[in-house]
Amino acid sequence: MADFIKNPVVELPERNPAPSFPASELVFTDAEKAQIAEYVERYPTADGAIMRALWLAQEKFGYLPPDVIKLAAEEVGMPYAKAYGVATFYTQYYKKKMGAHVLDVCTCFSCQICGGYDMLHYLENKLGIHKGETTEDGQFSIQEVECLGACGSAPMLQVTNGSYVHNLTTDKVDALIDALREGKSWPFESVTLPQDEDDLGGNRRTDVTATETYQTPPASETIA
Amino acid sequence: MEAKSGKAGDWRSYERVLLPKVKDYHQLEVYEANGGYKALREILTNDKWDPTAVTNEVKKSGLKGRGGAGFPTGLKWSFMPPVVEGVPRYLCCNGDESEPGTFKDRQLLEYNPHAVFEGMLIASYAMSLAGSYLYIRGEYADWITHMEGELKKAYDKGYVGKNIMGSGFSSELVIHKGAGAYICGEESSLMNSLEGKRAYPRVKPPFPAQKGIWGYPTTINNVETLAAVPYIINRGGAWFAGTGAEKHPGPVLYGISGHVNRPGVYEYPTGMLMTDLIYEVAGGIRGGKKLKAVVPGGSSTPVLRADMIEGVTMDADSLREAGSMMGTSGMLVMDEDTDMVSFLRRITHFYHHESCGQCTPCREGTGWLENIVTRIDEGEGHLRDLDLLVDLCSEMEGRTVCALADAAAWPVRYTIDRFRSEFEAKCRASLVSSGIDLAEVSA
Ligand SMILES: Cc1cc2nc3c(=O)[nH]c(=O)nc-3n(C[C@H](O)[C@H](O)[C@H](O)COP(=O)(O)O)c2cc1C
Ligand code: SF4
Ligand code: FES
Repeated sequence: MADFIKNPVVELPERNPAPSFPASELVFTDAEKAQIAEYVERYPTADGAIMRALWLAQEKFGYLPPDVIKLAAEEVGMPYAKAYGVATFYTQYYKKKMGAHVLDVCTCFSCQICGGYDMLHYLENKLGIHKGETTEDGQFSIQEVECLGACGSAPMLQVTNGSYVHNLTTDKVDALIDALREGKSWPFESVTLPQDEDDLGGNRRTDVTATETYQTPPASETIA
Repeated sequence: MEAKSGKAGDWRSYERVLLPKVKDYHQLEVYEANGGYKALREILTNDKWDPTAVTNEVKKSGLKGRGGAGFPTGLKWSFMPPVVEGVPRYLCCNGDESEPGTFKDRQLLEYNPHAVFEGMLIASYAMSLAGSYLYIRGEYADWITHMEGELKKAYDKGYVGKNIMGSGFSSELVIHKGAGAYICGEESSLMNSLEGKRAYPRVKPPFPAQKGIWGYPTTINNVETLAAVPYIINRGGAWFAGTGAEKHPGPVLYGISGHVNRPGVYEYPTGMLMTDLIYEVAGGIRGGKKLKAVVPGGSSTPVLRADMIEGVTMDADSLREAGSMMGTSGMLVMDEDTDMVSFLRRITHFYHHESCGQCTPCREGTGWLENIVTRIDEGEGHLRDLDLLVDLCSEMEGRTVCALADAAAWPVRYTIDRFRSEFEAKCRASLVSSGIDLAEVSA
């Protein structure tokens, strides 16, 4: 056998992967099925709905092992192989089981020069894991990610594909971890435009509780 | 400081339109109370506005795309082929916003979602489309949820959907949620993503207007581009054309980040002096430090040294002359302490990570760029690496399916060109540490 077949350079998907969930759990409820059917309605062909269906599946099952991708593909009505290709293309779909809270720390561009790596390393030290790993209690995973489109409030991170946490400092990271450990979710932070501070006396939204203003991180933020 | 003037006129007295001084403008009721959906009603009910008239008004405004390439929007709309009965046509609004340093679309989506919807609907009318997609990057999950709530309100009010405002014109609007891939911002990749495929860019031609999503005629515009459209209809193309720089007019959202005292998204006319933006608007460099470098419009636009920005204004022509580009107007400001080598290293990592892998020069080239810049940054580089990097850029530029390879090469080419001594210093340090006689190698 050629060497590359025994030792493939890329990780090949299992041909007959062991089931990740018992068959009884690996089902969509009627409401979920109806939701996926509604997604399918939005596109000229059913395939367009696969991204939403995968999102729904990931929210339900936590991650997207092959059997979950297959379930979503079947519900949408497209070939499993094609859905697998989609699921593996995008970084936000988790291909392996993650911690209950996934901390996506931005270290790109603006965040880099505003202390993104300081925040990443602080978190790694605090949780005792490296980026790409999950804590033993299954609570936290850390990932280093590319620009999340919040460069003005750098450094920042995102919690499990959800809340943005802006203007990170070590104190704020501590508060975040405490809150998540207590089972609280981090509120949606609306970032006030500097012009609104001048013209409207602060945030223009009266329907959010947490607000942040743009600020430059202190130049001297260094972590032992 | 001596008074200097850009092409923006007196920007201090500029009244914001995209993000006006109105609390809760993102809510439908407030948007309506402040003239929202008036432009849509006007074009749908007033006979003077046939689709061509709308496109002409946008042409007259001189609006150029805010997604990075700066293509004239009215002209792009007029590329759509004539309507053929039974052949659907589409609009995609590009809200993928993943270019490092760019964060203005997110604020626009949060604070003025209805202008985006209204602009999409006006564009749909101008190009006779029965449907449009708003593609938003998956990371913006919270904003997608907010916008879906507002979109539902607009549907309930009859601004979107069947027989809009009783005019007989119907147009559907769907929000599509991405899942994390920078390349989806590239327009043909975005179309593949919408179709439920891996988001590989397509070979052009055929261009989207000929063969777009599901093979049908399609136009792609940025979020900020489309949000400007209702205001162009309300105030007239001439108003827009008369705001800011003559050849690149209009209000624009500047996203300023990095080492400034007051970072953030600001709405001002185009054609502002870059120095005004940095020192007046954004409050100057933090900690009283000196300016070192500016990236004017997202990570792919060439970096400018502090001594290169005097008198430069924020419009395509002036920035081109200065040796850079307007890009997405997401401006990164760096102070004197910034290490340009490790800065470039992180950028090369980004493009390597985000290359979709279809084209060899890009897939391999971005990896080599990262490896070599990393080697220099780690103190193991050679002086000849600098020329090697520039050669590599030449092998990547213009040889690939999409412009990501160019976007990856430009920062390398220009950062080395403009900060060569810093790169050389790191290389020389590595020579010294490996015991090589500097006198022998320095040319
Ligand atoms: C690699 C790459 C990434 C891009 N990312 C974005 C993006 O995130 N948002 C965007 O609006 N345009 C992006 N563009 C530009 C789009 O391809 C397209 O030109 C633009 O959306 C057209 O809109 P406009 O004419 O209104 O500017 C990107 C282009 C390339 C080559
Ligand atoms: S240039 Fe790069 S990102 Fe663009 S299609 Fe080719 S490999 Fe993909
Ligand atoms: S660089 Fe971190 S959010 Fe843009």
